[in-house]
Order: sequence, then structure tokens, then C-alpha cells
Amino acid sequence: MAEFSIIGKPLPMTDARAKVTGLGKYADDLVVPGMLFGKILHSPYPHAHIRRIDTTRAEALPGVKAVATGRDAPHPYGILPIGHDERVFQTDKVRYIGDNVAAVAATSLEVAEQALALIDVEYEPLPAVFDPLAAMQVENPEHWIHSNKPRNIEKEYHHVFGDVEQGFAEAEIIHAERFYAGEVTHAAMEPHATLAVWEPDGRLTVYSSTQVPYYLQRTLSNVCEMPMSHIRVVKPLVGGGFGGKSEVIPLEVAAAVLAKKARRPVKITYTREEVFYAHRGRPISYMDLKVGITREGRITAVEARMVQDGGAYCGYGPVTVLYSGNLLHAIYDIPAARYDGYRVLTNKPACGAMRGHGTVNMRFAFECLLDVLAEKAGLDPVELRRRNLLRAPCITANQLRVTSYGLPECIERVVERSGWTAKRGKLPFGRGIGMACSHYVSGAANPIIRSNMPHTTVHIKVDRDAGITVYTGASEIGQGSDTIQVQIVAEVLGVRPERIRLVAADTELTPVDLGSYSSRVTFMAGNACLEAARNLRAQLFDAVAKKLDCGPEVLEARDERIFPRHDRERALSFEEAVAAALEAQGALVAKGTYAPPEEARGGTFKGAGVGPSPAYSYSAQTAEVSVDPETGQLTVHRIVVAHDCGRALNPLTVEGQVEGSVYMGFGQAVQEEMIWRNGRLMNPSLLEYRIPTTLETPLIESIIVESHDPEGPFGAKEAGEGSLAATLPAIASAVYDAVGVRIHSLPITPEKILAALQEKRRQAASQTRNSGTHPGGGS
Amino acid sequence: MQAFEYAEPKTLKEALGLLSSRWGETEILAGGTDLLSLMKNYVATPRRVVNLKSIAELRGVAETSEGLRIGALTTVQELLEDRRLARFPALTAAAQGITSPQIRNMGTIGGDLCQRPRCWYFRNGFGLLARDAQGRALVPEGDNRYHAILGNDGPAYFVSASSFGPPLIALGARVRIAGPNGTREMPLSEFFVIPKNEGEREIALHPNEILTDVFLPAAASELRNATYEVRQREFLDWPLATASVALELREGTVRRASIVLGHVAPIPWQAGAAAALLDGKALTEDLADQAGEQAVAAAKPLSKNRYKVQLARVAVKRALLAAAQGGA
Amino acid sequence: MEKILLKLCVNGETCQVAVPPNKLLLDVLREDLGLTGSKRGCDDSSCGCCAVLIDGTPMLSCVALAASYAGAEITTVEGLAPPGELHPVQEGFAVSGGAQCGYCTPGFLIATKALLDRNPQPTLEEIREALSSNLCRCTGYMQIYESVRLALERWQQVPRTAAASPTAAQGSQ
Repeated sequence: MAEFSIIGKPLPMTDARAKVTGLGKYADDLVVPGMLFGKILHSPYPHAHIRRIDTTRAEALPGVKAVATGRDAPHPYGILPIGHDERVFQTDKVRYIGDNVAAVAATSLEVAEQALALIDVEYEPLPAVFDPLAAMQVENPEHWIHSNKPRNIEKEYHHVFGDVEQGFAEAEIIHAERFYAGEVTHAAMEPHATLAVWEPDGRLTVYSSTQVPYYLQRTLSNVCEMPMSHIRVVKPLVGGGFGGKSEVIPLEVAAAVLAKKARRPVKITYTREEVFYAHRGRPISYMDLKVGITREGRITAVEARMVQDGGAYCGYGPVTVLYSGNLLHAIYDIPAARYDGYRVLTNKPACGAMRGHGTVNMRFAFECLLDVLAEKAGLDPVELRRRNLLRAPCITANQLRVTSYGLPECIERVVERSGWTAKRGKLPFGRGIGMACSHYVSGAANPIIRSNMPHTTVHIKVDRDAGITVYTGASEIGQGSDTIQVQIVAEVLGVRPERIRLVAADTELTPVDLGSYSSRVTFMAGNACLEAARNLRAQLFDAVAKKLDCGPEVLEARDERIFPRHDRERALSFEEAVAAALEAQGALVAKGTYAPPEEARGGTFKGAGVGPSPAYSYSAQTAEVSVDPETGQLTVHRIVVAHDCGRALNPLTVEGQVEGSVYMGFGQAVQEEMIWRNGRLMNPSLLEYRIPTTLETPLIESIIVESHDPEGPFGAKEAGEGSLAATLPAIASAVYDAVGVRIHSLPITPEKILAALQEKRRQAASQTRNSGTHPGGGS
Repeated sequence: MQAFEYAEPKTLKEALGLLSSRWGETEILAGGTDLLSLMKNYVATPRRVVNLKSIAELRGVAETSEGLRIGALTTVQELLEDRRLARFPALTAAAQGITSPQIRNMGTIGGDLCQRPRCWYFRNGFGLLARDAQGRALVPEGDNRYHAILGNDGPAYFVSASSFGPPLIALGARVRIAGPNGTREMPLSEFFVIPKNEGEREIALHPNEILTDVFLPAAASELRNATYEVRQREFLDWPLATASVALELREGTVRRASIVLGHVAPIPWQAGAAAALLDGKALTEDLADQAGEQAVAAAKPLSKNRYKVQLARVAVKRALLAAAQGGA
Repeated sequence: MEKILLKLCVNGETCQVAVPPNKLLLDVLREDLGLTGSKRGCDDSSCGCCAVLIDGTPMLSCVALAASYAGAEITTVEGLAPPGELHPVQEGFAVSGGAQCGYCTPGFLIATKALLDRNPQPTLEEIREALSSNLCRCTGYMQIYESVRLALERWQQVPRTAAASPTAAQGSQ
């Protein structure tokens, strides 16, 4: 008999029917009687003092039921305890075009929009700064974006692990280079929406498109000065997040403040333009990277400097810049590394967490540099990776614990499937293949708000009809976490998944889960489900053992029956077992929790909290491209990706996550970029911010690698982010293979390829002039 | 979207009576894909919208003694499906390039010719000539990577967004315009103009006029034509540069060539000197390349769009070669 | 603003709504008719989440004034199959991972139905072309292609008339 009956099956998602019928409800689909429509007034200036706000004319407009300003919500907040620098509405100064100044709730959207035009705000513009390198040079405290952040540096970290000088001294080949990555954003298809309902008993119910109901509840409690128990946050269906809904977004607070003020339900839905300005995406990154290797290709030392353009508020910023440094490690064996990371404030919308948080741009730089080093060492890029693998289990130089490591298998599988050996360096000019690797955490081992409480808790209740209800705080945002939790409980209890009803992400009903970020849900909520289901099963086994007159340890639950392992015919049906347990003990309830083990929580140096995870996923990829040398147009034909997810609890959703990651990496690699000019976003629409359509997106072939992590639920690790980062450098490597130019600036546009080709031709020509040798001897 | 009065006239005459003589006060609605986006962003704030959809005479393709008459309300998809247009691959390639399929189902040929520029300063509310509050031009100093490389002496720097403009001009099309005092006709090449002042438009239409028909001359048997587009993204995007060419190939040599560049200037850009270069010669790759070079010889790239010169040059070359190799 | 009285035939049912001239077809469907399956994603015709069939042709209801479509026959995702049942296209997407977050799904279902109505044997390239009006940020499109293939398979198993026409989907009337 197969090891599992539910785990490992490609089950459709539990909410698939709601989604394909159009009947499932997202936040903007919700309507309640008496509902008002909210609109937010945004700053037209990138940096300005607010001298006066007068709302009288707006309040007088018929249909306006509430106008809120900073006076109505004075408490600062922010996702990190060290970064409470945001207020829902600014009172003293605005810090980016789009900053929030006031909001209106009215009987219709038209009236709300008219009312915004009637709010008089007097601004006194301040010098603004838009480039992080320039922002770090601002000496005048009057012009700092936050007065307590000298020279606009939000945070800086300086790490040294191992003997870096010695490492470079031992290196026989050293290469250093600067890399640049433009800014990209999540662009989830669902614009943010929040419906805040003021209840007759003075409580607040908030339906919101959020990845983090618990943090939203905490923040609203603080800002609205209400106990958490008086605020109920409900997450309806969420139309994608990718990190863009993983911290509290201003409209969520604005809707609550307006509802409280109007004593009416208020809904705010962002326009697509507002979504772009709300942002919290992946920052502009300047990266200086130096890596040394021996002639044999062993990495001896790494030196990395990162400057990130964080925008006007802290957000997740320090976490982002720490991921960039700390996750240089835990993929290859790096004996020594120095990292200098700067998170810098500028007068633009705040950046934040985006799929592959903090790792993507630095991984791009690192893998591109390995490509250069491999060539210098005369090695195949694949071979260079093979020579720097970790030997798990192990602890890295910066004290990350690696428990399972499927990277070697990932590499070999993509090499084989892609036909790498027959292609690299051997395709006709204009066509090329490249490869790269990446990895990611399976949940952050340390919570955002430090505590020793569990990261997630799951309750299970079974009643007389033997229906099973699972209460989980985990937030399904399209990644399939509800389905995975149902599968885990069904497997342990030996029942059909249809027997299980999952109640999720409703703070009034479900216990705390920290949210859908850092790829933590399958690992952490999955482990909590596993524990809760095992607890429940133990209660059932006790009751069944008495009925069957055997020891509970010989029992097994499977196919809706509970039976002694060696006497399968003497079975109780699941219903009989539940009845027996209810008779024996009354209520049938169970709980499970998960907190990462102490050993997984990392070191004690400043900034050690970010990067540690109970387990790491791994990915290797090849990309096949063609480049039109006359126009610089880049076409990516095929990407082969192998992802080590520990164990695929549901191969359908694992593949969906892996392919989605590659897709997003592809978009950033070749065509997505937020283009800023003096703090204004030039392309705040999906027409001009070019997310890939069916026609550019390459065919993606995904391969699942299972390394069976000792601590993952059934051995599982994350699948939703780790494959993103490798796509970008794999494409860059393929461009080099195709036409012999290295593009170390993202996105890789026709313009950049053309310029590089022209520069290469110019150099070849001048070489010919100087040496008289014939060019074209290969690159 | 601002409130407006809605009219759905049944006749052209009725429609003309509903239009204001000042830009901005009334807008003409056809497929709506561009106008409604502009209205949602308050870039267009008409007090009256005149929907042409019930005016039957504006629809469809008909054969005339001189060629084809295409009604302005004919959708892009209808054009693609019309077999009579198979002789004009320059046109059908441009139609295919209008993305996406759903836009092709809604958008019309008249709407394509009259659509507003994609210039992001214009779409962000800085006006067609993209000036700040002090009247300074934003484009030369700003991010101009998608702006004009030709016809960009100012004050206009945007590029014409029309996909049908270049091929139709290359094919010698004319347009008919109805106005309060009757109709007038002009070559399509004169329909596109470079505005000199804010408040002027990029087309020769007056605010109280309606573009009613496009006339496409019959194709001589020697006609060869093609359009080549260079894009960053395959779909849901306007090209970076295009070239449409039409020429007659008689006994292996080129006659009556016409080359029109798209998305490189505030109007579809006629490369007369490049076309003249071809006359009487056999169309080789070398000659096509020379024509491409000639077509962009006068280009004056802005600070960030030098790459477009090369793209336009390649587009011309490839369009010519495509035309020579079949292209009709 | 004076309202216009508008007659529409939505999912086989005739209805009358009074709408201001500046109301989008999408908003009439969502707000006046309670058909929230069609989604607002982009505001500018680029994402396809709002796609509906208008007289059998897929169009974008977010750049369509409702007033322009008086008398039109409109099919939304809710009208693809009778309540409680799934159209083969819906089955395909439900089973093969075509819907992750699900927000773009209604638009993809409409585009897929329009494709298969026209072309019952599409190649992969034809599928990619037909779905290029619709953006999906989750799947990377691979499982969407798989969903279309499965939809096709299931569609060939059901009698064509039952599944093909939106009015038939409303029942025996």
C-alpha cells in the first residue's frame, strides 16, 4: 500500500469551485446595507510641510458623512516594532507623491471624489531626494525625510563572517562588479479593498484583502484605540498578494477610521493607480559584489555592498536589506563573507516585501558573477556550482542551519532535461542557454514581534455527524494553503478531504497565525495542523482501542476507517469512531501549534534575526533565449526549473507555485520596471508597467525534487518563492551565451542589449586597429 | 469619471449637431477603449459624449470604383476578417499588432486614427505638450525613452500612437471628414499634424467634425507592401518603432515606393528620401539597409531614446525585405 | 445626472436598469445586477478581468459604457452554466490549477469559452493568442493551458447544445 492516501495527490484547490463560478467573494465584492464609499486624498508633492488642512467645504457637501484627517488617528504604526514611522494621514509633512492626507466617506463614489476636491490643503514644498545614493549625502537635517534618520539612512548593517582578507588572499581569481536592479512591484490582479463595518455594539468588523489579518488587527487596535477583541478582521478571498498585502496598507486603516467616525460601514477600493503608489514592492538596488575563487573553482571569499532605495517609510525595509546579506549564505559553501547593507529613505512610496523578499536582486548579482568567474576559470557554469555545494546538515558561516539540501539533484535534473551539455556555447549566434540557482526560507524562524509564543495555532473540532472543522488563522491568498491544510488533516485522520470544513483567517473564530509571508504557511501552519490532527487522532484511537479491545498504538486511520494494523477487517468506520469518542470523553477537540526550534533561530549578532528558517528550499534553472542582434529584442523560449520543496504535499499546487515564481522572475528580468521621475511614477498602469502576457511568457517545465526535510510536515518545505530569483540570472547568462554581452542591469531591455553590442563591436574594432589581429575568434 | 450628457444619434447630421466647436467640451465615442481610460483619469472631461454606434453608414467595408471605402466604425477584427484586405498585408499586420484580441473586437479604425498619444506626461495630466506649472517642457529633461526621435524640434515630443496611420499613408489612403458645412477629403498624410500650442490636437479634425471614411486605393498587381514592428513586449503594448512600406515591383525594380515610420514622431513619419533611394533599383538587402539608414538620417534622439534610431532603421530594412519577398 | 432606462439581456434573463450615462457596463453588472463574478483589475483595458461576452464576442466591460449596450445579449461567468453545475471550461480550470487566486479566472473563462466556440481544436499557439487579452499574475500560464486542454476534452464529452449556448444554460425555458 502507498505510504500516503491524500498527501502527494494533485487535488484541486478546495475553493476552486467558488473561483470558477464567479461566486466566491473578494473584498470589493462585499456590500452591506448603508455602506458608504471612501476615497483618500493623496499628496501632489514629493516632500512638503503641511501648513493647513481645511475640511469645512468638503464636510458641507451633501452626501458626505465623514471626513478624516490625522487628528482622528494620531498613533504611528508600522509593520516592524523598530519602524513605527507611518500615520494613516499626515499632519505635519508629506513624504512622497501619493502620501495620504485625508479621507472622505460619502453616499457615493462620485460624491466622495467631489469632496476630495473641496479639501483645502496648504503645502510648503521642501527639497526632495529621489536617488538613494544622493539621499545618503543630504547633510541638512531640515531636509531629512525623517528627522530622526540622519542622512536618510533608515538602517545599515555591517557583517563579517570568517576571515575575508585571508579568503581573498587565497583566491586565485577575483572578480568584482556593480549591478543594478530597477524597481518592480507585485501587481496582484486584485486591487486592494477594505470594508470596515461599525457594529451597533461599538465593535468593528473589517473585511480586507490582506495577507496578515493578525497584524492588521493589532494595528487597528492601536490606531483606533480599541481593544483587539473589539476588532474582528476577516480575510475574504484574496486576489493575489506576493507581499503587496503583507503589511498594513493605508486604505485598511483609513476605512476603519472613517467607519468609526461615521458610525457606518465604509468601503475603500484602490484604483490601479493607487495600487501602484501604495507599492511596497522590490526596491531599486545598487550592488557591488566581489567574489574570489581558487583555480579549481572553490569560493574563498565574498564581499557585498547593497544600497536599497526604500522610499519614504520604513515598512519591512530593514528585513529586506538583511535578507540580501544573510541569504548570500545557505546555498553554496562560503567560508568568509563581508556584507555592508544600507536601507535608504527617498521621497517615493515605501518599498517592502515582494516574493523572494530581499534575496532576488542580490542573487541576480551573485549568480551573474559566478557566470563570469566560471568563464575565467575555464569551467562550465554548472561545474562551478557543483564545486561549491554545501554538505547538509550543516551550519553556515553566519549561523544558518541547513537541514535538507536538494540543490545537487536540482542542478543535475535541469542539466539533463534542458540538454545543457549539448547546448551551452554550442548554439548558433543569437541563441543561447544559461543557468542559475536560488533558494529561500520556509518561514522566518523569528517572528516580526519577538516572543516565545507559537507562530501559528490550529484548532480542530469534530461533532456528532463526524464532520471535521479546522480553525486556522493561516491566510489563503491563492497559493493553496487552505487545500494543503485540509490534505494534512485528512491524511492523519484517514478521511476524505470533503469531510473537512476549513474556517480560516477570521480573527474572531480562528487562533493566531502570523500571516502569509516568508513562505511560512505550509511549513508552520502545516506542522500545527499535523500536531492538532495527531492529537485528535489519539483521542479517537483511545476510544476505538477500548471498543476493539486492543492497544491504541496498533491502530491506523485510513480510507474513512480505523483498524488494527494487522487485522484490517476489525474496523470501525470514522463515524463510529467519532461516536465512541464522544461517548467516552464528551467534546472532541484538539489543538496544534508550531514554533521553530531554538536551534533554527540563528545567531546573536545585530541583524541575525532575519534569514534563519527551520528549512530552506532550493532551485536550479536553465533558460533558453534568442536575441535579435540588430534590435536587441530578447525572447525567452523555455525555462526548465527544478525545485526542492522537501516533499510535494500537492504536486499540482507546487508546480503552480514554482511556475508562478519563474513567471514573476521572468517579468522582472526582461520587461517590468517602475519608472520614476521626480517622485512621480511614469507608468502607473498595467498597460505601461509591462507584466508578461501569454505571448511573451516562456514555456516553463517544472521538476519537483524531494529532499524530505526532517522537520517539515511530511518532509515538506516551501514552494512559492524560492524559484523566482534564479530565473533572472539564468536569462542573463543565456543572453551572454547568445550574443556575448553581459547585462548586469535589470530589466534586460532591447536598449541595454543594443548598447552593449555596440560597445562590444567598438572594442573589437579598436582591438583590431591596435593589434592588427582578426576579430571574431569567439567570445 | 465626470458626469456627462449621453447622446446616441441615429444619423450623421444629428451627430454633427451635437458636437461643440471647442475641444474638450464634447467627445466622440466609438469603440471606447481609449476614450474611457482618458475619462476615468480625468484627462478627458467632456460634458457631452456622442456615441456613433447607431449610425449605420459609418460601418463596414465597401468596394468603390477606385478601391475600398472603410467606414470609420469598422472594428479592427472586422478588418482582419475581411478577405478584400488580404492584398494589404501592411494593413493587416498593423491590425494584428493592435493588442489585445478583445481590444480588436471593440476598437475601430477611426478610433485608431484619432486615439490620443500614449505619452506618459500627457496621461499623467501634464498636457499634450507636457509642460510643468512654469511652462517648462518636461520631455527633453525627463524620461523620454519612448518619445520622438524625428519631428521633435518641439514643442511636441510625443509619438503618434496610431497603428493604421503608417500603413494607410504608405498605401496612399485618403479620409473623408464630415462637418457642419459639409464634407471634406484629404490624404491621410495631411490628417496628422504636429501641434504647436497646448489646446491643439495632433489631428486635422476640428472639434465639431467626424471622421467618416477611409478610402484605400485599389492595389495594382505589382503592389508589394508590408509593416514591420519592433516591440519590447509582444502584447498589450504599443510598438517601439514600426515601418510600413508600399512599392511597385516591375521586372525586378522598385517604382513608386513609400516608406512611413510609426511611433517615432508626433505624426506617422514619411521617409521620402529613403523611398526615393529605391526608385528604379533592384531591392537587395544592401539597398534595404541603405534605405533604413537614410530613413533615420535626420533623427535627433533625445537624452534617453537613441536606441530607437537603430530600431527604426531595422524596421525599415525588414519591412522592405518582407514586402519584396511576397508582401501582397 | 439624469438616468437612462436600459434594457439588457444578461445570462439569458432580460432586465431593466436605470443608470447614469457615465456608468460602466462592469459596474452595472456588479452593482445593479449583483453579478460580482466579473472583476475590476486595471481600469484601462489591459487585464481582461472584466471580460464578458457581448452578443457572443468577448469584450472588456470596464471600458464600455453600459448605455452603449442597450439591448445587447451579455454573458458573464455566472451564466456559463446553470446554478450548481459547471461548464466544461469551468471544470477544466477548477481541476488543472488554472485558478490560483481566482481573480483573473472569470475573464479567462470567458476568453476560453469564446475561443472554443469558434475553434474547437485550438493549437497551443492559438490558445496563447486567444488568451493574450487576459493577465494572470499567479500561474505563469502553464496550468491555464492545461486547463484549456482539459476543458476541451470534457467539452467533447458533453452534447454541444447543452454547453454551448448561454440561454440553454439557464434551463429548459
